[in-house]
Amino acid sequence: MIKALRRAGDRRRQLGGHHAWRFEPYCGSEVIALDCETTDLDPRRAELVALAAVKIRDGRVLTSESLDLRLQRPESLSGDSIRIHGLRGVDLWGGEALGDALDRLLDFIGNRPLLGWCIDYDVAVINRHLRPRTGFDLPNRTLDICRLYARERQRIQPGSEPDIRFEAMSEALGVPVMGRHTALGDAVTTALMYLRLCHGRAVSA
Amino acid sequence: MVDINLSQPPFNLLDERGRQRVRDGVDLAYFNEGEVMLDAGQRGEHVFLIHKGEVAELDLNASDGERRIGHYTAGDLFGAISILNGTSRYRFQVEQECLCYLLPRALFEDICHSYPDFDDFFRQHLAEKAHHVLQRQAESGMSMARFMLARVAECMREPVVVDGRTTIAEAVTHLRERHADSLLVSHAGRCGMVTKTDLLDALVHQGLSHSAEVFGIAHFTLVTSHADDYLFSALVSMTRHEVARVVVMEGTQAVGVVELTDVLGYFSSRAHVVSLQIEQAEDIESLALASARLPQLIQALMAQGVKLRFVMELLAALNGRIIHKAFRFLIPETHQVQSCLLVMGSEGRGEQILKTDQDNALILADGSDWPGIADAMGSLTDTLGRLGYPPCPGNIMVSNPQWVASESAWRGKIARWASSRDPQALMNLAIMLDAHAIAGNASLLEGLREHLFARGSHDELLLSYFARGVLRYSTPLTLFGSLKRPEHGIDIKKGGLFPIVHGVRTLALERRIAATSTFARLDALVDDGRLDRPFADDLGEAMALFSELRLRQQLDSLDNNEASQEPNHVIVQRLSGFERDLLREALHTVKEFKQRLSQRFHLEY
Repeated sequence: MIKALRRAGDRRRQLGGHHAWRFEPYCGSEVIALDCETTDLDPRRAELVALAAVKIRDGRVLTSESLDLRLQRPESLSGDSIRIHGLRGVDLWGGEALGDALDRLLDFIGNRPLLGWCIDYDVAVINRHLRPRTGFDLPNRTLDICRLYARERQRIQPGSEPDIRFEAMSEALGVPVMGRHTALGDAVTTALMYLRLCHGRAVSA
Repeated sequence: MVDINLSQPPFNLLDERGRQRVRDGVDLAYFNEGEVMLDAGQRGEHVFLIHKGEVAELDLNASDGERRIGHYTAGDLFGAISILNGTSRYRFQVEQECLCYLLPRALFEDICHSYPDFDDFFRQHLAEKAHHVLQRQAESGMSMARFMLARVAECMREPVVVDGRTTIAEAVTHLRERHADSLLVSHAGRCGMVTKTDLLDALVHQGLSHSAEVFGIAHFTLVTSHADDYLFSALVSMTRHEVARVVVMEGTQAVGVVELTDVLGYFSSRAHVVSLQIEQAEDIESLALASARLPQLIQALMAQGVKLRFVMELLAALNGRIIHKAFRFLIPETHQVQSCLLVMGSEGRGEQILKTDQDNALILADGSDWPGIADAMGSLTDTLGRLGYPPCPGNIMVSNPQWVASESAWRGKIARWASSRDPQALMNLAIMLDAHAIAGNASLLEGLREHLFARGSHDELLLSYFARGVLRYSTPLTLFGSLKRPEHGIDIKKGGLFPIVHGVRTLALERRIAATSTFARLDALVDDGRLDRPFADDLGEAMALFSELRLRQQLDSLDNNEASQEPNHVIVQRLSGFERDLLREALHTVKEFKQRLSQRFHLEY
C-alpha cells in the first residue's frame, strides 16, 4: 500500500522528466533476472559490492546480453560478507562508482519486470542508494522466484511447506547452480529456475 | 558467468581470446522433454552445446526402427553442420530435459572465419578428424606418436652407391669413409646391396680375394619402401623379412637406405627386442617367453598413442614369426615343403590385437605321404596352446582332421560349401577367404585361393547369400544409449566390426582380391574402382576406431583381471563427448556401407 503510494508520488514527480517512461507499464516479453552481492543482510545497512542482471527472452537466458558490475569498495566491507561472496577489497579495485553502476543498471533494465531470489531485499538495497540520487525508487514490477516456486509447489501438493532456500530450490527444479554467490551466477541460476517453472506450467496446463 | 567447459575439442583449437568470445557470446536455454530443438529442414540459427540433459538425433526419412541416428549428452555439441549447410538434415529432439548453451550463428561464423583450425574441424571427414586427434596427441609430447607419424624420408640415409665392378677392397674403404654399414651396388641396370656381413663372409668364408668384384656377393632382391611410407611400416617389413635395412625407392631409383639402428635410435622401444627374442629362440621354451611379452608390448604401444593399424600389422608379423618357428621346430623338413600351415579368421586378416584363438588349417600337397600326421598336428596344437594361443572353441584347428586335407580334398570341400550355401558352409568359406599362409609351402594356398575365386567370384547367387551375413546384426544406432539399461552398452563387434569386415571380404571375393587384411583389401578395392577413396578411408578409419575401443576394454580387463567384462560391449555413456561423436559417425559409415551392399547384392528382401 505504502509502496503503491510512493510509486504514484514518484511517477507524478517524474512526469515530463526523462525517467518518465520507466513508469509506463511494460508490454514486452522480456524479464530481467537480478542479483546483488552486499556487505550485510540487513537492507538498511547493506552496501552494494556487485550487481548483475541478465535478460530472459523467449525461453532463453541471454547470457550474452548481461550486465555484471563490481563496485568500488564500500566502507563497510567486512570479513563476514567476504566469506560469502569472495570479493575482497583488492578484488574491487577498479570497480565502478556507485552512481555510474546504478545508471548502467537503470539503462539495462528499463521498465522490464525484475526477477530474483527474495527480490524485495535486492530492490530495497538498490532503492536505498537510488533514491537520494534520482529521487525515485525502482518502479519496475517484481517477480520473486521464491513465491513463484512456493505457489507452484502448493498447487501440486497443497498444504506442503516448500523449501525455498536457494540451493534446495535449484536442486528440486533440477537446475545446476552456476557459480553460487557471484552476482551473475546467482542471477543466471535464478533465470534458469524461472524458465523451468514457466515451462513446467506450460506443459502441465 | 558461464561455466562452460571449453577445454574439449573443438574449442581447444581456439586461443584464450577466442574462448572468451564464446563465453561472452553464448546464451542459455532450457528445453523440456519431447521438445524439438531443431527440426529437419529448419534453418540452423545456433550451435547447441549441452550442459545437462540428453538429446536424440532423428532421421525422419528412415523407417521406424532406424530413426535414431545420434544421441548427445552433457558436453556434446551439435547444430554446427546445420549452420554450415544452411538447414538441418535431421530433427533434434529432447530426450531428457536439457539445458543448453546456444552459440548464435553470427558469432559461430565469425569465429570460424578467424580460426581456420576451428572451421576445418567442422568440415572434416571422419578420417581427417581421427587423424587430427592423433596429431594433437603427438603434439602433446608423446614421442611415440611422433615416431608413428614420422615418414621414412625423415630417417633415411644418403645411399652410398658403387658400381658393380668395384673391388671388395675399395668397397671397404667406401664404408669406412662414409661410416656406413651397407653399400648399394648398381650393376647392369639393377640395384643390389652389400653389407659388412656380406663382405666378411666373402673374405673369410668364401676366401675371395680383395680384388674380387662386389656384384658377385651383392643381394639383388631388396626389401624396399617408399619415402612417404610411415617409418613404422619400414620397421614392420624389417621384422617380417628378417633384415636390418630397407632400401628407399623412388620409381626405379634408390634414393636412400633406412638402417635398423637408425630406426631404433628413433624408437628405442621393446618392439624389436621382442622380435629379436623370437628370432633367437632355439626351443619352444624361449619362444614361449618371447610370446608372453607381446601383450606388454601392445599395451605400451597403445599407451603411447600408436595408430592401431600399425600395431596390428606389427603384431601380425610377430605372431606369424612365432607360429612359423613353432612349425619349424615340430615338423620335419621334408614335410614342411609338402604342406602349408594357414592361419584364418582375424589372425589371417592380421587384425587380432591380443592373442586370439588358434584358427588354423593345413593343406597337404597332392601325392605326399605323411603317416604320422594326426599326432604331429595334435602336438602342434598343444604347443601353440603353450605359446599362449588358446584353442579355438569352434575346433577349427589342425588337431581336427576336418581342417587337415590334401589340395584336391580342399577343392572338393570348397565346391561343396559353395553349392550348399547353408550357414555353416558360408562361415567356412568366409574363414577360408581370410586364410593366410604362415609356414610351409605358400604356393599351395595360392592355388587353392585361385580355385575359390574361380568358383565364387561370378556366382551371383553365392555372393548374395554370402553378403547377406552383413545384415545379420541390426544397426546399433537403434541401441544407442538405451537409457533404460545404461549398463548395457552396444556391441561394436556385431554392429560395427563384423559388417565392415564381412562386407569388404565379400567385395574381395567378387573382385578376386588376394589380400587378407581388411585395410589392404580396401586399398585394393579402391585401385580396382569398386570403392571411392574417401569412402574407403572412412571405412578404414571406422574399423580402426572400433578395434581401438575394443582393445582398450580388453587391456583394461587385462589390468584388472576381470574376465567377466565383455570386451565387445562399449558403454556409450562412459565415452567422452568427442569419442561418442567419432563412434556415431563411424556407425553412420557402417550403415551407409550396408546400404550399398544391399543394393549391390540385392539383399532388400
